[in-house]
Amino acid sequence: MPNLPILVIGGGPAGLEAARGIADLGYNAILVDKAEFLGGTPISADYAAITPDMRNTEEAMNEMIEKVTDNPLVDIRLNTIVTASEGEAPNLNVTLKNGKGDETINVGSIVVATGFQHFDPGKETQMYGYYEYDDVITLVDAERMLKAGDFVRPSTGEKPKQVCFIQCVGSRDRQIGNFWCSKVCCGIATKEAIEIRHLLPDCRVFVFYIDMRMYGFWEDELYWKAQEEYKVNFIRGIVTEITQRGDTVVVKGEDTTMGRPMEVPMDVVILSVGMEPSEGTKEMSKIFDIPLESHGFIETIGGALNTVETQVPGVFAAGATTGPADLEDSISTGGSAAMKSCAFVRKADLKLA
Amino acid sequence: MADHKYEKWIEKDNVVIDGIDVSGEWNRMYEPREIMEYDLTYMDKVTELDGGESMGWCYQCAQCIGVCPIDNVGSYGPRKIFRKLQTGLNLFEDKDLWLCTTCTNCVRVCPKEVDMIKIMPAVREQAVLNGHVPDELQDMLQNVAEYGNPMGESARKRVKWMKKFEEPVRDLSKEDNPQPVDVLWYVSDYFSYHNRGNDAAKAMVRVFNRLGIDYGILGKEEKCDGDSQRLVGETGLFEELAEHNGAQFEKYEHNNLVVSDPHAYNAFKNFYPKVTKKEYNVQHYTQFLSEHVDALQSLMKRPYPKKVTFHDPCYLGRHNGEYNAPRTLLNAIPGIEFMEMYRCKEQGYCCGGGGGGMWLDGLVADHTSERLSENRVKEAIEVGAEVLAVCCPYEVSRFEDAVKSTNNDGKLQVLDIIEIMDYSMGNSDVLGDA
Repeated sequence: MPNLPILVIGGGPAGLEAARGIADLGYNAILVDKAEFLGGTPISADYAAITPDMRNTEEAMNEMIEKVTDNPLVDIRLNTIVTASEGEAPNLNVTLKNGKGDETINVGSIVVATGFQHFDPGKETQMYGYYEYDDVITLVDAERMLKAGDFVRPSTGEKPKQVCFIQCVGSRDRQIGNFWCSKVCCGIATKEAIEIRHLLPDCRVFVFYIDMRMYGFWEDELYWKAQEEYKVNFIRGIVTEITQRGDTVVVKGEDTTMGRPMEVPMDVVILSVGMEPSEGTKEMSKIFDIPLESHGFIETIGGALNTVETQVPGVFAAGATTGPADLEDSISTGGSAAMKSCAFVRKADLKLA
Repeated sequence: MADHKYEKWIEKDNVVIDGIDVSGEWNRMYEPREIMEYDLTYMDKVTELDGGESMGWCYQCAQCIGVCPIDNVGSYGPRKIFRKLQTGLNLFEDKDLWLCTTCTNCVRVCPKEVDMIKIMPAVREQAVLNGHVPDELQDMLQNVAEYGNPMGESARKRVKWMKKFEEPVRDLSKEDNPQPVDVLWYVSDYFSYHNRGNDAAKAMVRVFNRLGIDYGILGKEEKCDGDSQRLVGETGLFEELAEHNGAQFEKYEHNNLVVSDPHAYNAFKNFYPKVTKKEYNVQHYTQFLSEHVDALQSLMKRPYPKKVTFHDPCYLGRHNGEYNAPRTLLNAIPGIEFMEMYRCKEQGYCCGGGGGGMWLDGLVADHTSERLSENRVKEAIEVGAEVLAVCCPYEVSRFEDAVKSTNNDGKLQVLDIIEIMDYSMGNSDVLGDA
């Protein structure tokens, strides 16, 4: 029985779960990641705690990483990228490139788990001045500070007294071209708000939103908790623009449930940046000739009923590579892709036998 | 940056000058509209209070506003108070603290369980301690503290309504060696001191006597039940009253405590036990009498061929879940054509008298376009009722005033259920004899 290995591209949550699943089902996985470590964006972007569990990110991701690192059925290739592919599954010749050079491997199936990238608020049309004002940061910048356990005003290094989040930055925006809701930012902002209040009990925290999208258990486990236990203030109406007055940044917009204009100074403004397809995801769509859906993510064929199968036989996709996804989504589709790629290889093996 | 005090910035979303409603966006031009600061000082003070915690839980679904009786005639309601607190309102010294009638319709619908029935007394208690109480309310509180009733009448006059009244009533306070009674009837302030309340009290006596109920009253030893005083934040006064009345209930042996007033019912059932550590076998008179409906039907022979609607008292209905007993009694009266108003039972509209509203007509009038009782009376007329039946002593006078002030004199009569029952038994002070 040939039992061709399955190539998992990307070692974030979805890829880790896919590789673990493939190995658990008794198949061989080759797990590649361009970084020199596993864990994907939660690790590379220094997430402090995962959403919604609020567990330490490194601890949580290490738990996943351990399941593949000592696994004889998982061949891990770090600092490695996929540069080319020839043939058709279950007989694909994929070229991997690392510091030592190129290597072509023969694989039976592919799981693309190349994830997303954070929206860059510098390219947006809104007037948030991310690259102008030191005290205007993103969710990712805030994660980094929170991970270090020290949340400060970047301009002064002092503890802030008043902090706000602006939701939907780079999402739900026709002008920018990102029509979608990034799904996780409401939860992540709320999680960070809790962390800030926990770290700095005297700091007021505000979340300016269009609508809070706290689906499922996030509602009470994050949103209600933030409001009721941590006294985070959620105010409807996102900020239109930011100006600087003296040494503070001033957020300007409408407080819609009061029906009044609002112009309030903040020590730190956190932009809740959304998700975009990563460069890796775009690249994989080219290499494997996988069509993208209208938003630019990898398209799966079955809509809600088949979340991992692409139009290319034997090529599956998992995690945020197919659209905005939270951790639960990524783990779920990672597992689903493992199951389907193994099934694909098994069917091929049976035909050959 | 802004050195302005918040008070300067608040906009008047609701303005009535000399009874003329001049609400509207135009009045914003006099004051800056912009929110310059989210000053959470008072929000924190409210949510730190025992009972005030849930004020911070609002997520602006606004379901409360849909059922808030004050918002019907002004701009008010829990979600708006939440936002005002978030934008710096000092609720402890603001009129918004006193507009809530504690009707609990918002609590019924609030998905976050923001509990205005706990929040209002908690914040008001602080206002009372700091002397920030509207004058008209302060007068009432002083009267209750001094005389045991909001009218400021002497304790002796509590039984004045029985003078020249031929019906026998056992005043237990006058008996040397009072024997146990089956029913201890708590008459209440308005039945005792208000002239229209007296009518209902007399009707009650006649109905009790015809039914052969073994009952007695506390006479001059009865004091205000204190529930409305508790709800306006006078916790100390409430506790005193609970201890006083609780001691009387101990003194006179009885099986049932029957009350005329839903506010007393609420107090004795739900709040006296916290003070006196005793439970009371308490019933509102409509509950007690509805258990005797068969006997009543054989006594109520005189037809009352009128179109009658019923106003659910907040403290009998929503607060304590009793909607059937008053309707059972009304439907037992021969000839009655009973009709519901649009807002009835759980959805019932408030008369405006609860939570201190009874003594805040002046303040409320300054901030609303009409009285709640006026709004309600119009509804009764709209559904085609000739009679608005009530079973809360606060309501007869409120609705009678509203009938006049809405120019509906002669179109709608306001009667306590007991008065109609009394009439149907062949008597009545108000409707005349057979």
